[in-house]
Amino acid sequence: MRELMARRVNLLGAATIAAALLLWEAAIHVGLLTFTYLPPPSDIANGFSELLSTGELQENLWHTLSAAVSGWLMAAVIGVSAGALLGLFRPLWRYSMASVEALRALPVVAFVPIAVLLYGFTKEMEIVVACYAAVWPILLNTFAGMRGLDTRLREVGHVLGLGRAAAFWKLQLPAATPAIMVGLRLGLSISVVLTLVAEMVGNPAGLGFALVQAGQALQPEQMFAYVVVIGVSGIVLNTVLMAIARGVFRGQMAAAGDAA
Amino acid sequence: MPVHADQKSAAVPSFTCENLQVTLVGAAGANVILDGIDLTVARGEFVSVLGPSGSGKTTLLRVLGGLQEKSGGTVRSADAPVEGPPADVVTVFQDYSHSLLPWRSVRRNVALGIESKLTKPECAERVAEALTMVGLQESADEYPWRLSGGMQQRVQIARALAMRPSVLLMDEPFGALDAMTKASLQDQLQRVQELTGTTVVFVTHDIEEAVYLSHRVLVLEGRPAHVGLDLAIGLPSPRDQITTKESPEYLALRHRVYEAMGHGKRHA
Ligand SMILES: Nc1ncnc2c1ncn2[C@@H]1O[C@H](COP(=O)(O)OP(=O)(O)OP(=O)(O)O)[C@@H](O)[C@H]1O
Ligand SMILES: [Mg+2]
Repeated sequence: MRELMARRVNLLGAATIAAALLLWEAAIHVGLLTFTYLPPPSDIANGFSELLSTGELQENLWHTLSAAVSGWLMAAVIGVSAGALLGLFRPLWRYSMASVEALRALPVVAFVPIAVLLYGFTKEMEIVVACYAAVWPILLNTFAGMRGLDTRLREVGHVLGLGRAAAFWKLQLPAATPAIMVGLRLGLSISVVLTLVAEMVGNPAGLGFALVQAGQALQPEQMFAYVVVIGVSGIVLNTVLMAIARGVFRGQMAAAGDAA
Repeated sequence: MPVHADQKSAAVPSFTCENLQVTLVGAAGANVILDGIDLTVARGEFVSVLGPSGSGKTTLLRVLGGLQEKSGGTVRSADAPVEGPPADVVTVFQDYSHSLLPWRSVRRNVALGIESKLTKPECAERVAEALTMVGLQESADEYPWRLSGGMQQRVQIARALAMRPSVLLMDEPFGALDAMTKASLQDQLQRVQELTGTTVVFVTHDIEEAVYLSHRVLVLEGRPAHVGLDLAIGLPSPRDQITTKESPEYLALRHRVYEAMGHGKRHA
């Protein structure tokens, strides 16, 4: 896995980022950029190590990521099984399509105050919000993947005498795996975003709240440090998920043109 | 090598169609594609179906394989009416790239139909045997989409053979292959068919291939199509790509089929 990540590091891309940071640093020292609260990258690095030494960063990071990932895991279980059921039984979809569309169209952020009312200022509230947000892309992608089974493969199943259950496990579900993975990835990033929102406007904890707090305390170095941490953890989560998927669903992922 | 075609009485034909009619609904409405088809395929027989493009060869094969409903007449497989794919009848599709599971290795593709019916060692043995028959032992762990077209088609044939069916239905299985690969697959199929005594219904648009491989050649004709020519091919077996194709009997039979397909006279 380490080898894999090393191969994925894009040298030119990294050089561009380094150059941009240097330019930013220089522009502030030369006086080209003069916002009161825009710190140069070196100050942000200081803010970062400050947060790290007090242990605040680790604590907040753990709080937010564990809430986001728990919510996402619940969403994965609910979304994949509900999507699979809807894909298997047509009448079920006809009954529930309108409700799914209506709920999905409702901006998830509007759901945060409701969750606060129901669950109070708790970590459970964050998890519920993250789960609710992530469930839709997972459900809809699973459903689409299940329905998208090639007619020919369906016939292959008939001809080889696969029953309904065998056709589900051996044909439909594996054929839907790439689509399910798309849903899971979308769901993961959405659950992180909504966990942060829930912390900013609801539960006063974790990275989201720390970010707002640093801003109110006029500590831009810390604020930027948090922003960087949030960005990087999003990338890391996605990379880990893809690495796991490539390991577990080797054939499916390779066949879908995602060979590692 | 086990002979498994005549487990049931040899007297019961593999297929009987009486006055078969098939109607397909297309953009322009319902179309009668096949009408008045009377057909008997004996056990262990190798029957080829020829006919112009769009005449209904695939449709006929799909009806025999239980993948397409008829609109009239009767179709029986062994002694039961065909309603859905019969248990010991396996179809080999023309579009091999869509018929294999891209996420399974060659070995696991071949195992698909038997893995839940046999113990692991039995299944592994069957798969190995089927792969040997089509000469693919070496590629067993490869993914099918990494193989050439001819190899993919052989995987599909191996998967069918692993089922030990009493009937193989093949829809232009060698249609997309080059002449060399085609000839070698024809001979492999010929050998396997003789070895196992499997009944084969073989759709093709290649007249030479039909005459070379078959015990009997059918030509579909007209619109809706009926069986225009039903010609017994009495060539001795095993056949050989060079000597059989040079024999006067072969040439005479080929001549008759070309005529039935409407070739020859116009260009004279
Ligand atoms: N799903 C379908 N719905 C309606 N009409 C169809 C359908 N499939 C095929 N047909 C029509 O049925 C006729 C016979 O088709 P079929 O595929 O059996 O021909 P074929 O003899 O196999 O031709 P080819 O040699 O080109 O494969 C064609 O005229 C075609 O237009
Ligand atoms: Mg056809």
